[in-house]
Amino acid sequence: MKSVQRTGVIREYDMHSASVKAGYGFILLCCALMVVLAVFPLIWVVLAGFKDLKEFMSSTSLLPESFSAEPFITTWNQLGISQNYLNSLIFVVGSVICALIFNGLLGYGIGILKPKGHLAVKRLVMISLLMPTTISIVPLFMNIQNLHLGNSFLPLWLSYGANAMYVILFVQFFESLPGSIIEASRIDGCSQLQIFFRIVLPLSKPICAVIAIFAVNAAWSDFLLPYLVLRGGQLQTVMVRLFVFSTEQTVNADTMMRSVVFSMIPPIVLFFIFQKQLTENAVSVGIKG
Amino acid sequence: MSGQARKKRIRGRTGEQIKSWLIMLPGLILMTFFVWEPLIESVRMSLYKTRNVELVRFIGLDNFISVVGKDDFMQALMNTFSYTFWSLVLGFLLPMILALLIGETRRGKGFFRTAVYLPNMLPGLAVIILWSAFFSGEKSGVLNILLGRLGMPQQTYLTRTEWVIPIIILIATWKGAGATALIYMAGMAGVSPELYEAAAIDGATVWKRIIHILLPAIRKLAGTLLILQIISVFQIMYEPMVLTKGGPDNASLSLMQLMWQYAFGGSMNYGKASAVAVIVTLILLVMTAIYSYFNRRESDWD
Repeated sequence: MKSVQRTGVIREYDMHSASVKAGYGFILLCCALMVVLAVFPLIWVVLAGFKDLKEFMSSTSLLPESFSAEPFITTWNQLGISQNYLNSLIFVVGSVICALIFNGLLGYGIGILKPKGHLAVKRLVMISLLMPTTISIVPLFMNIQNLHLGNSFLPLWLSYGANAMYVILFVQFFESLPGSIIEASRIDGCSQLQIFFRIVLPLSKPICAVIAIFAVNAAWSDFLLPYLVLRGGQLQTVMVRLFVFSTEQTVNADTMMRSVVFSMIPPIVLFFIFQKQLTENAVSVGIKG
Repeated sequence: MSGQARKKRIRGRTGEQIKSWLIMLPGLILMTFFVWEPLIESVRMSLYKTRNVELVRFIGLDNFISVVGKDDFMQALMNTFSYTFWSLVLGFLLPMILALLIGETRRGKGFFRTAVYLPNMLPGLAVIILWSAFFSGEKSGVLNILLGRLGMPQQTYLTRTEWVIPIIILIATWKGAGATALIYMAGMAGVSPELYEAAAIDGATVWKRIIHILLPAIRKLAGTLLILQIISVFQIMYEPMVLTKGGPDNASLSLMQLMWQYAFGGSMNYGKASAVAVIVTLILLVMTAIYSYFNRRESDWD
């Protein structure tokens, strides 16, 4: 059996040279430093959460005086974060469902059904990929107000059903599916919608999983449109709450750091569960978005 | 084929076509409502005098003249270019270097990839607030604590006009560099190891292999990522909004932040906000044209 050849510029044979060996040591050192830089701020913010306000503002030690969970519990209860977590959960679940169904159907049309004129739609979607939503957030917000959809999750959920990047990921995946399966089911008399739900979707589990993971993270982190739509109401999500804290400076610095910790827990959990899918698909998602 | 049958087939086809469009319709409606119509609407609104959500009357380019005439616009425009400049200085080469370093490791590659990608998963807002504690000018600021350990005097950071933009870019780079590095790693992995072997046998040093084989292989990818980076940094908004409120003295105010201020900063001047948005869109369109020029040459998509 032939072993897979190792990638990389430095070859096995170079490792005999002392200078290359030293260089390789330097590379490892840099990588270790990089890991420290990536992780240290996270560890610090958790440590900082253990400090009370006085300690947070005056202590010049990175470690807290005590590791009691009490400050976290107090902040959680005082700010009523449970409600915000619940709101975030509802927002995220609805957003993922919309992201899969609406972008999936549009991608099915462009990638498989290909009716006359589908190329124009494909181009429009491609162009909108580069036109970010923040640019048009003002008229979008006005439209939402005009339809009296303020203080509701509905416009926020639906906004995830209009994501050019997800549409394109679906199209690319659908175009790679074998046409013969779809042709066969068409001959068997399946309607187009039946083909989508019975044939195409079950074959598309990998891409659905990837889009769902990225949509969960995007929706959890989203706060600009959610802030405009939900501000002042009962439906505020964790990120909206955090944004309000940061702009209105209504909470103390130590409470703020604990809120940051609360807001980071779900993405970090998601990351550790799905790190393989995330790092493998970061390429396609990153380059298109 | 009889006329009857052909008619039936055509009708069948038309029926299929209509059904296909019906399936795409919900997605199209949402794209229209959330993406396309607001883009067009922002152009229209920029030409109107507005009161709350109403368009009062057409006033031509008055919004643009009034917006551009203010000092804060020029400041924001300069700042936005400054953000772009610093993001190229601090953030363009770094992911490439990270990718090269991780790509060369012989053990633990997966671990390093995972670690550098982690910051990208964190909510952007939380990242900004987290780093604000690092760059606090108080003695309890994390950097000041670290400086103190090294026996160096305390510093102020975000209150310095010359430091504020590089610091914001540094934070954005901390969050995004790992994700970009993964893209470069994929590009670098596309180079066949045989090329390096052959070059090594011919006596090319490691440096020479990097310069003559690796870099040419990722040149096009780097070009695409460069344009994408410029486009995304140009829309920087919430980072300065949360970290410095545009200060000190508007030194970190960005164009998009100015738009937000016009719309939601109390005055609710949606017309003027749209004028700023249109100006940013026009600048972005030019950049997009450059991007699609590169992209068309590179990818066979479409």
